[in-house]
Parts: sequence; structure tokens; C-alpha cells
Amino acid sequence: MLLASLEQVVFGYSDVPCLEDVNIHIYSGEFVAVTGPNGAAKTTLLKLALGLLQPWEGNVHLAPHNADGNKLVVGYVPQHIAAFNVGFPSTILEFVRSGRYVRGSWLRRMSKIDHDWTEKALRQVGMWELRHRKIGELSGGQKQRICIARALAQESDVLILDEPTTGMDQESRFGFYELMQHQVKERGKTVVMVTHGLSEVKDHLDRIIELERKDDGGWKCCTMTSCSGHFVPVG
Amino acid sequence: MLHYDFMQRAFCAGGLIALIASALGVYLMLRRQALMADMLSHVSLAGVAAGAYLSINPTLTGFVVAVVGAVAVEYVRKSYRTYSEISIAIIMIGGLSTAVVLMSLNQGVSKSFTSYLFGSVVAVNKTELWLMIFVSVIGGAFLFLFRRPLYQITFDEDTAKTGGLAVNWISLAFSVLTGMIVAAAMPIVGVLLVSSLIVLPAALAIRIAPSFNAAIVISMGIGLAGVFSGLSASYELSTPPGGTIALVLLFILVTGISVKKVVLKYGTKRFRKGNELKELRDSPMPRFSKDGLSTKSDSAG
Repeated sequence: MLLASLEQVVFGYSDVPCLEDVNIHIYSGEFVAVTGPNGAAKTTLLKLALGLLQPWEGNVHLAPHNADGNKLVVGYVPQHIAAFNVGFPSTILEFVRSGRYVRGSWLRRMSKIDHDWTEKALRQVGMWELRHRKIGELSGGQKQRICIARALAQESDVLILDEPTTGMDQESRFGFYELMQHQVKERGKTVVMVTHGLSEVKDHLDRIIELERKDDGGWKCCTMTSCSGHFVPVG
Repeated sequence: MLHYDFMQRAFCAGGLIALIASALGVYLMLRRQALMADMLSHVSLAGVAAGAYLSINPTLTGFVVAVVGAVAVEYVRKSYRTYSEISIAIIMIGGLSTAVVLMSLNQGVSKSFTSYLFGSVVAVNKTELWLMIFVSVIGGAFLFLFRRPLYQITFDEDTAKTGGLAVNWISLAFSVLTGMIVAAAMPIVGVLLVSSLIVLPAALAIRIAPSFNAAIVISMGIGLAGVFSGLSASYELSTPPGGTIALVLLFILVTGISVKKVVLKYGTKRFRKGNELKELRDSPMPRFSKDGLSTKSDSAG
């Protein structure tokens, strides 16, 4: 099932486009990595796909429903969240539990299912023992973990992760890649992840999207299928 | 003291404003809009001046202009997403300069300006009290019903949007509510007290609260305690109520932060000596787990 598509997308922040002629299709059940050097507009690409930025030209489509016909739930883990810097007064448990708010109405009481999902997500990222800590007291890697836990707790159909392994040690990164592969292979989720550690994760991936510099200085988007010469097949 | 009608109304109006403004303050501070109350009260002055110039009820025009200012700041904020305070400064300059120009066109307005600047919590009339009750009920209902979306939006708007929340509409409603509360409270407590009630309790609550919900409750408690003790002190010492309440709140803030520092200092010593270090040392390194089993079993494996 086609979950997201960007067709002939052009986007820029000033009067010069930073992305041109982007054509990407993301299907359900894929583990996709987006890679490219610093400043290659990887985060911009994710934000365009999520609808957080509007393209100058072209079409962006995100499926409203998942394969079961239910509302598509997207779990987004940004690279930076400003609230962490202003001492947001919240516990880890409170924060991860907020992922459950997308399930059902705003006013309903948190059920045992909600608590179970919250606990499971926190255990999956190894943060259950620290659940009563305030989020402002955490290290960079731990902050990434609880953001991932929140996305897992909301039972997202699609996980969009912007450099989620920043601040993690090597052992944690490998554990994280296995967890994401498990989400894709065993649970049928879709994972799109911006990463610089392609060599570490490529064995788990279905597809790679690479942003490359064009001759005129802009960036173009190449995928395994469109630029197969650039990549060694993975998976 | 409470057998006087005016003191009963002052405690009632002051208590309502304390509860609603201090709860609102937690969200405003975390959205980097702590000066929103200051801005809206200054913008509201332009409405008061326009009302006086056009011979319309100044409270009403002040109310409308504050709400318009709240909507305007929401739009300007989008141009300065990381530095929300810049949008506040821009709208405040616009409001205050308009007020000054309108005031110069009608010299008779100057006197009523003073009452709006400093308010008069002990001279609250029934109409102002009912307006405050009306706005407090709407504000309380909004903050209760929207507490979960507001938590998500306050934390991060992008993730809230991708989670399917109508962030723009909720944010706009929040700004309008802020405008309504500030405009309703301003003639009663004045520009000075509105901002002190929004900023000071929240500033302490955010530092000492163990959780987000606790921060809201603690902020409301501090606001209420500050207003009631400030009003009592003002009555006993014959000092201006607005300024006294603001000073009491400032005193609570400074004391609270000092106490926290002392507790942290001695708490750290206890931490070094006690078993907590051993507990931390013996606790397993956090590991990712596919099935969500406990980290202890992971580390054992």
C-alpha cells in the first residue's frame, strides 16, 4: 500500500530552491533510510512528507488511512525539540503516556491498555526504571529514547525518525536498529529514518534514499531504483 | 476585614484571577510567551483610548482590542517560530504607540489611564466581578477540556501536528482566551498585577514541580496564596493592593528558589553519602528490547 508520495516536488527557504524534482514513494512495511551530507535538506524532505512544510511546486500525499482502514497514525521523532531546553516540567512517564492521547477522545480516562502500552514502550527503549525522572534531567541519548518510546506508545503505523541515534552509544544504536527492524518485519510498521550511519544500518534496510549535490549546487533525490548505480543492494 | 462588601468582592475577584492567570502562566512560559500578558494589557490600552475618543465604553473596546491583539500575535508568531517573544514585542510596540497617539488626541483620557495601569482590586463593582466570573468559567473549561492537546502543543507543535491535532486552531483559541482573561482582569487589578500573576507563580512552579500536572496545581496554589496574603497585608498596612500582591508573589518566588537551592545542596550531599549512588551504579545500562521485557532481564542475558 502506498503510504506517502512526493511527486515533482520543489522547495526552498529563500528564493533559491534547496530541493528540486523530488520523486519519492513510500510503501507500507518498508524500512527506509534517508541519507546525505550535512545541509542536504534531509529534515526538509521529512517535513515536506509530513505536511509540516508546503512545497513550492509538485504534489505531496500522505495516506489518511492505514491498510486496515483506520486513521493513519504517524509517529514523528524530530532531531531537536526546543522544549527540552526550557526545562519542560514533565516526567518521562507523563511524556511517553502523552503518545496515547491520539488514541480516542481527549477526555477519556487512561485505560489499562494505555498504561500497558506506555510501560511496554518504555521497556522497549530501556527507560522504564527512570520513568519518574523529569525529562529535563536526561542526557541527549536518553531524550532520543523517550521520544522514540512516545512514538511506539501511540502504536504508530509509520515512524518518521530524524537522526534518532544521535547521542547513542554503539551498542544502543545496534539495539535500536534491531527494534526498528522488528517493528517492520513482525508488526508491519513502516519506518523512515534519516541517518548518517548507513554502514551500521544497511543490513536492516529495504531501501535507501540519498540526497546528492547537483552540478548547479542544488540537491537532488536519488533512490535505489532511480539511481541503482550509486548503491550496493541491501537487505 | 471580610465583613466589608468591597473586601469580599476583592477576595472573590482576586482569587478567580489568581487561579486562572497562574494556570495560564505555566503554558505561556513554556511557549516562551511569558510577556504576553504585558503585551495584551498594553494593546488593550489602545482600545481603552479608542473607546474614550469615540465615546464608547472603554472596558468594552479594551476587551475587543486585546482579543484582536491576541489573534495578531498568533500570526506574527509564525514568522518568528523559535523566538516567540519577538512577536510579542512587535505587537506591544504597535499597541502602545497607538494608545499614546490616541491619548494625545483626547487629553481627558489621561486620568482613566491611571486606573487601568494600576487597577483597583478593592473597588471592584458587580459588573466587573461578573465579567471576571464569566471569563474565568470559560477559561477554566478550556484549560480543563484541552489539557491534553495543550500539553502536546506546548511541548512541540510539529509532533502535535503530525499526531493529527488542529494546532493552529487550538493555538489561536488559546491566544484569544489569554486576551479575554487579561482584558477582564486589567480594570480590576491593573497592568502590573496581571503580568505578575501570570509570570511569578508559574516561574516558581516550573522550577519545583515534580510533573506537569503538579506544575499547574502548584502555580494555582502560589497565585492564590499570593493574592490572599497580599490583599490581607494591603488592608492591614494600608498599602496599594496591586503592588502589595506583586511584592508578595516576588517574595514567594525568591524564597522558593532559595529553598530549592538549599534542598539541592544538602540533597546532593545525602546522595553522595547514601545508598542512591550504589543503587545507580548497580542499575542496568538502558538497552533496547524488541519485546519490551524489563531491562534487568536484558542485562542478565
